[in-house]
Amino acid sequence: MTAPLTRPGLRRVEHIMGTAISLDVADDLPDATLRALADDVFDWMREVDARFSTYREDSEVRRFERGELLLSEASEDVRAVLATCADLWGATDGFFDAYATGGLDPSGYVKGWAAQVASDRLLAAGAVNHCVNAGGDVRARGHSAFGRPWRIGVRHPWDANATCLVLAGTDLAVATSGVYERGHHVRDPRRGAPAQGLRSVTVVGPDLGLADAYATTAVAMGRAGVTWLDRLPGHTHAVVTDNARLLRSPTLPVAP
Amino acid sequence: MRRAFLAITGLAASTTALVVLKGSPGTSQAAQEPPAGTPVGSEAAGAPPSGTDAPAAAPTAAATSSPWPTRGATRSPAARPTSRAPAPRTTTARPPQQPTTTRRVTGPIVENEYGNVQVQIVLNGDRIVEALTLELPSGPGETERHSDDVRRAYNGTSGEVVRRQGADLDTVSGATETSDSYRRSLRAAIERA
Repeated sequence: MTAPLTRPGLRRVEHIMGTAISLDVADDLPDATLRALADDVFDWMREVDARFSTYREDSEVRRFERGELLLSEASEDVRAVLATCADLWGATDGFFDAYATGGLDPSGYVKGWAAQVASDRLLAAGAVNHCVNAGGDVRARGHSAFGRPWRIGVRHPWDANATCLVLAGTDLAVATSGVYERGHHVRDPRRGAPAQGLRSVTVVGPDLGLADAYATTAVAMGRAGVTWLDRLPGHTHAVVTDNARLLRSPTLPVAP
Repeated sequence: MRRAFLAITGLAASTTALVVLKGSPGTSQAAQEPPAGTPVGSEAAGAPPSGTDAPAAAPTAAATSSPWPTRGATRSPAARPTSRAPAPRTTTARPPQQPTTTRRVTGPIVENEYGNVQVQIVLNGDRIVEALTLELPSGPGETERHSDDVRRAYNGTSGEVVRRQGADLDTVSGATETSDSYRRSLRAAIERA
């Protein structure tokens, strides 16, 4: 008999939706069960990519945009996501705009939403301790394999290898939107120009899709986004401004 | 009158929400605007990561010994992996609480039009625990200047601490690099593992 050398659970990273998706299931379940759960998660992510990708000409989103697919013919997921994007457009005074870049691009909501759905399904399947990270949008539930609340670093906006904040919790959706990434410029839909003022916005709440959308919204708003975040019920935030200051909610779940 | 009171209270509440963590040593989570002329700590610490043993992101149980692990200084939680990794993992029974089989595999440097991308994966046994970027293209003028400012702030002796990935994390929020170079280096690292 050898002592167990690895932690219980399963960890897996795959490259889907143009980004790294990682899954950490900390439940001590049989290997076959864990593998099946992980397969389901990554199959779901691939399905979302096939339907929502703006890079795939044959995705539902592209076909809908070109007028080849009626909304009534689209899948339930696509209809639900587009309806939420429309709601968000209203709720954010137009700053969350799936058409901000010209064409239809709901990815400011889709990535977080997809990870949230994956997490909900894991929970329903009995894997109550897990952490899904879809390209930096994190949904964590329960405890890590070390038996402590999940510890989630927030990337430092000027140093990809550093974190500027550590959050911890047992039921958190954490989304970070930043303009530090090449090719990822959030646009201010009103001025039609790249947003300025906020370098990175992290929103913590119960739903990862909304947290993702709210983070993008605040970046698009610029400095005014901080005030807007303050008034957002049920969510906390951390903001790094262009001049390298960190502003955060007093109730942000910072790791002890 | 009551309305004015409410308005003032509301204003005060929203102002306090903007906690500007400026120059608060020890809180360890502030990105700070550097005061002019802050002495630069060490040149090596501020240098971009290079080679195989740059950042430490090991989400392991061991606590980080130094609150300030810099990338320039070898593997940061130095004692832990180095002392155990060489031991042959055969039949020797180990204390069960020590998940010490963490190892790192580094992908090749992949060039793109902006610079180089290099990815490292951290494995526990043969499971991938984390994927991190060792090298990324540095940005154009403005980004570079900001980058220097912030590094000076936390490499300096002002007491400012920014937690590194050595801070025992399970995962990191913040957009992952999405480039083709990232994917290629990641894939190669996985194949090498």
